[in-house]
Amino acid sequence: MSRGPLLFKDIDTPGLAGLEVYRGLGGYEALAEVLAKMSPDDCIEVVKASGLRGRGGAGFPTGLKWSFVPKDTPKPKYLVCNADESEPGTFKDRELIEKDPHLLIEGMILAARAIGANVGYVYLRGEFAWIQRILDRAIAEAYEAGLLGPSVAGTGFRLDLYTHLGAGAYICGEETALLSSLEGYRGQPRLKPPFPAVEGLYRCPTIVNNVETLMNVPGILANGAAWYRQWGTEKSPGTKIFSVSGPVRRPGNYELPLGVPLSTLLNEHCGGMRDGFKVKAVIPGGSSVPPLPASLLDTPLDFESLNAAGTYLGSGGVIVIDDRTCIVDALWNITRFYRHESCGKCTPCREGTYWMAEVFERLERGRGRSSDIDLLDEVADNILGKSFCPLGDGAAMPVMGAIRHFREEFEYHVTHRRCRVNRRREELDALRSAPSAVEVTA
Amino acid sequence: MSHAPVTVALETRPLEWPEAARKQVEEALTHYPNRRSAVLPALWIAQRTWGWIPPGALRLVARTVELPEPEVFGIATFYTMFNLQPVGRHHLQLCMTVSCSLVGADRLYEHLRRRLGIEHGETTPDGRFTLRKVECLAACGNGPCMQVNEDYYENLDEAAVDRILERLK
Amino acid sequence: MTAKQVKVTINGRAIAVPPGTLVTDAARAAEVHIPVFCSHPRLPPLGACRICVVEVGMPKRNRDGSPVLGADGSPEIAWMPKPQTACTTTVADGMVVATESPGAVKARKGVMEFLLVNHPLDCPVCDEGGECQLQDLAFAFGRDFSRMDEAKRTFVSEDLGPVVKKEANRCIVCMRCVRYCDEIMGEDALTAHQRGVRTEISSFDRQPLECEQCGNCVEVCPVGALTALPYRFKARPWDLRQHITICPWCSNGCSVRLGVRGTEILRARGTEHRGVNQEYLCVRGRFGYAFVNGAERLAAPLLRLGGELAPAGFDEAVAFTASRLREIAAQHGPGSIAFLGGEKLNVEEQYLFQKLARTLGTNHVDARTRLTAPLPGDAILKATGGGRPALSLEELGSAGEVLVLGDDLQGEGPFAQAVLIRGQHQKDVHLTVAHPRRVKLARPKFRGEWLGLKPGSELALLNALARAALDLGEPQGMPPEVAAGLPALRQALAAWTPEKVERATGIAPAAIAAAARRLREAPRKAIVFGRALVEHPQAAALLQAVENLAWLTGALTAERSAVMAVGTQNGTQGALDMGLVPDRLPGYLSPADAAARAPLEKQWGVTLSAAPGMTAPEILKAAAEGRIRALWIASDNWLRSAPDRALAEKALASVELVVVSELFLTETARAAHVVFPAVSFAEKEGVVVNCERRLQRTARALSPLKGARPDWETFQAVARALGAGWSYRGAEDVYREIARLVPPYRGTGWGTMLPLGPRWASAGAPAVAGSLTPVADAQPGAGAPAEGLWLLSGGVLFQQGSLSHRVELLQRLAKGARAFFGAGELQRLGLAEGDAVVLEGPAGSLTLPAAVDDSVPPGAVFVPYAYPEVQVNRLGAPSGAGLRVKARRAGVTASVGA
Repeated sequence: MSRGPLLFKDIDTPGLAGLEVYRGLGGYEALAEVLAKMSPDDCIEVVKASGLRGRGGAGFPTGLKWSFVPKDTPKPKYLVCNADESEPGTFKDRELIEKDPHLLIEGMILAARAIGANVGYVYLRGEFAWIQRILDRAIAEAYEAGLLGPSVAGTGFRLDLYTHLGAGAYICGEETALLSSLEGYRGQPRLKPPFPAVEGLYRCPTIVNNVETLMNVPGILANGAAWYRQWGTEKSPGTKIFSVSGPVRRPGNYELPLGVPLSTLLNEHCGGMRDGFKVKAVIPGGSSVPPLPASLLDTPLDFESLNAAGTYLGSGGVIVIDDRTCIVDALWNITRFYRHESCGKCTPCREGTYWMAEVFERLERGRGRSSDIDLLDEVADNILGKSFCPLGDGAAMPVMGAIRHFREEFEYHVTHRRCRVNRRREELDALRSAPSAVEVTA
Repeated sequence: MSHAPVTVALETRPLEWPEAARKQVEEALTHYPNRRSAVLPALWIAQRTWGWIPPGALRLVARTVELPEPEVFGIATFYTMFNLQPVGRHHLQLCMTVSCSLVGADRLYEHLRRRLGIEHGETTPDGRFTLRKVECLAACGNGPCMQVNEDYYENLDEAAVDRILERLK
Repeated sequence: MTAKQVKVTINGRAIAVPPGTLVTDAARAAEVHIPVFCSHPRLPPLGACRICVVEVGMPKRNRDGSPVLGADGSPEIAWMPKPQTACTTTVADGMVVATESPGAVKARKGVMEFLLVNHPLDCPVCDEGGECQLQDLAFAFGRDFSRMDEAKRTFVSEDLGPVVKKEANRCIVCMRCVRYCDEIMGEDALTAHQRGVRTEISSFDRQPLECEQCGNCVEVCPVGALTALPYRFKARPWDLRQHITICPWCSNGCSVRLGVRGTEILRARGTEHRGVNQEYLCVRGRFGYAFVNGAERLAAPLLRLGGELAPAGFDEAVAFTASRLREIAAQHGPGSIAFLGGEKLNVEEQYLFQKLARTLGTNHVDARTRLTAPLPGDAILKATGGGRPALSLEELGSAGEVLVLGDDLQGEGPFAQAVLIRGQHQKDVHLTVAHPRRVKLARPKFRGEWLGLKPGSELALLNALARAALDLGEPQGMPPEVAAGLPALRQALAAWTPEKVERATGIAPAAIAAAARRLREAPRKAIVFGRALVEHPQAAALLQAVENLAWLTGALTAERSAVMAVGTQNGTQGALDMGLVPDRLPGYLSPADAAARAPLEKQWGVTLSAAPGMTAPEILKAAAEGRIRALWIASDNWLRSAPDRALAEKALASVELVVVSELFLTETARAAHVVFPAVSFAEKEGVVVNCERRLQRTARALSPLKGARPDWETFQAVARALGAGWSYRGAEDVYREIARLVPPYRGTGWGTMLPLGPRWASAGAPAVAGSLTPVADAQPGAGAPAEGLWLLSGGVLFQQGSLSHRVELLQRLAKGARAFFGAGELQRLGLAEGDAVVLEGPAGSLTLPAAVDDSVPPGAVFVPYAYPEVQVNRLGAPSGAGLRVKARRAGVTASVGA
């Protein structure tokens, strides 16, 4: 049974990661057609018309981004695939590359040709070394088949593709930090403007696209913009892979047309909550976006609707928080993540994430003060929009959203000096107080 | 703090690439238009060669990619996955971020630390295991998840973890 | 045609600025204060600290480009949704900036609060207190209470060495230190490591810094995270009187801000926006002031009446000196008296020194005691264009191509080196470094080429470069008298075939051709030389060869191009200008020219001898042979600076009267009959001239040490005792006379030298005419061994002359005398690092420990000249193409010394 209409249509086919099976299912036919019939500029126009928006979290129109690459420059151009997937709650790119690496390669060949790049890099997060091996094998197959190298499919278009492994830094998912890291610097973001499309890798025109974005390109170019728009909404066309985590019956990746209500995803596809669990909040787009309270679960999952509901589609990492989980505890966990991942370049993020994490700890340990809640909100607000890059915003927004929707839970911590509920803590305490059946065996 | 026994001589002596590693480094250099872009691949190759990255290896990488030594030091320490201290044969990296935390990662960590007798960042005296809390591994739908060296182990509970540890010698 | 200006409105005030201006700079022009931390004038914009956030908007425009007008008729502004960092935002035409709007103020206060989250309340124990940018801005924008009472993140700060003290808890991660060390110093010694709130600035593996120890990281640190260890806990800024004067250590002429409490200099800092160097100082300028307050400063004149030198009164010493000079002049003629030294005096003192000599009737005057062969007094002026406008250091740093000949600028002119490093990082400067050793500027990481010529082949290289330049076509723009020499030069250069070039220099002809082409084709270019050529036995020929090359490559004809001579001392240029040379009067006037002599004779009330005197090497020889009977040596440790120590010792032993003007009882002073105690640069006012030929005022930061006097007072006293009617009331009087009589200095005065003094150039015709003249290769000097290793020497950063012996920190950093060999050479000699090696020269030998330095080529040994425990001139004087020594392992355990 198919898990989705587009990228997930054949995703579970055994051997799909190999060239033979991929081809058997029609793989690289889109490439052949496009090479034969469409100029690079045509390709850019079709992708523009399709309305495809970046699937990594920013949602910038892909075709428009491609069109920013200057046409008449002597500098070489680069295509970079952002496979640094590190947004908490998001695990779609991992499954996509693991199972369907050739679709990524095909998408990259088409994208590179459209912008005139002869070198492409896939920047994988350091933890994906095992996935790098899968991708490298597929790339080797593609070279052997003449789909990469000095003359892609005999057309004279040269493309070399390399994988590049990061080493454990969430910030390298931000495109300019990714380029810094790729160039051999500490992975800190860079000033924009100039934008990477004009001055990116090695100060040459560079397009950085997410894995899922690139994997949509073959289908769009082969079938046309109108075809792509059969799914999704007017402003959010196409499908999106949502990664669902938390105490639902069937967590995992689901490809749905944009615009499907969140409740449909959770109840129909994920089978609802596990026995004994109820929804308290859902973070719809990875930990960087504000949470939605249970009352807003019918919000359609598209860019505009989620904005209207006070949050963002982001990476589509849907984190389900149950009603026996302490919101403050969960936000403390998330804030610790940002403190750990802050690159340290700018003052608000570097110091603000530290400060917020400290205040959260006090609240959680029953030493909070009534002024702490407004303090957290103000500190977050002082980071929002003032940091060098969106990581600061990502640290601030969930805190502000949590306070907006769950203020009384925060206040409970202050007045009662403990959580109202905290399943995690209870389970941990139970384990700790149990007589130790566990001996040190190592 | 208990640490795996370490060949102290590695700390200070100047290092050269073993032949296989040197070939890998040479190959990596061909991927980029300049040498410094190969600093991350070179650091990975160093770590795979020596198990960790001693100061001598940092100097070697600096020489190889023609960067000043302090800069390579600054690059290596920016990323969490480069081990600038020795680690055990099996590096147990347990995700503790929110999604895994929602499905029991904290209990698993507690289980591991009691079973192995070490805390975050420490290594068992026999050099077999190093335990570390890490951030989101992109396995959120299959949590809790633990990465051991390069391999992912997902959908874990105490029993599964025990079985895994059993097999790791 | 000026570029169209861009209009920006800041806080309602409209101004016009050049396109490309940053909002921070535009605000300054509009007199609006925007605070900054990570932004620095010498560094590219970073946008990291976020304290400079402001609100920025552009006028709303209709489709046709016309502005959208509001109800009141004024343009509507589309404000950017997020505040922007002013230091990274370039002004766009019509831009509106608000720095005091509620949004901007809130953003700034928020950042200020964040800066103080982990910053410790160390002010009571922090050296930065009182001059701390964070304090100032917290006071201006911060709260008077803190909302953050969590535990702060802390570090354990490691030892970074004797110069930089680190307190990591205070760091605000502005990255100025790291960036300055990279971009300007080219040292890359500092790095940020870890990340996030654990970001810490350190060295490789947290070891003490192995770098130039310039302390500029301390200077640019806006908080007390990096402070100067020698100054630690000594004073608060309000305890100090701060005086800006000119550093005495080299010819770059940096401005230095001395912090004085009572009678002691407690520290030296850069001047932020003043002088040629602004915030920059090298380790000598920043930490070398210690000698001023040294306990061994001479505090009384010394007279040797019987056998020993004993303290005497000033008048007594003056009277004795005058009477002995009178006697010797009467007995043996004024031509038996010579005046040496003066490269460390200021211009007023230099003028009086030679005036004293010439009033006495002798032209045996030479400040250039390190010369190994006679050199005309205007040779350097001629080689640098004859008085054509000199290059400023700033222009040097934006030239397209710079050829550095033979000198290690790290030791000879550290600021010039920094200017070039910054230039190649930020302004596309390309370097060609010709040096036998791979010196710092020749490192592969800099944008440049290294011409590693064989020692002794300097003339060959210059001829080869000239030939290659000429091969590119006839040079344009030369004055007719210069162009007239082209045919003869062309013929002479024809002998320099590629084979001959490669054999002589060891450099591939293609590299030389490429270097010549780069110089020729660059629109702005510079050639830099220093002691390596000037102190060379073939100096005269080498300087002519430099001039030839300069004409042929356009360095002397193109705009903002020049040849720059980097002198060894702060007064080297001044000594030449003031005629402390035997064959030129002040202003490069020829003593043989009666018309030129006349104004001086009139003012001085004497008839001047028309015959040129002896140069320093000739004086050395003559004194050793008894033809010179009296020597006055000023500001020069002649026993160490003379090219042949044995000869100098003989000279001092046989000369009847030795007068020494000095700060300390140096070896030379110990051999004198009269020692006059001088004052240091910090204790007198005057004018010094740097390598840009820029005149700069020095300030008196301290009263002179009791008992010591500025040299000009001593010279005047002796002159008066000799019957000359000198009546200068102060140093400025002297300068007024100079300004009247010395042509290039006409029209200048003490008052015209601030903030940045003028650079002198010859008005109209050059002071000395240029020429293209063939120069032939030298023959190996008679008596010099044809075999052996080439001895390479020169100044290094931590050792510059005997003055550096009086600074404990510099001695510690210099780490003791060693002879440096390349690893291969050491092996060939059968030596290991640390072994005692004997170097044998034509006149004597030295024993010192061997050390490895891979920048030293095979066939050579490098011994910096200024180690206190080693007297390099004991080996003998270089001749021919240089000095060769034999090296062997010492038979006994290492002992250092002659």
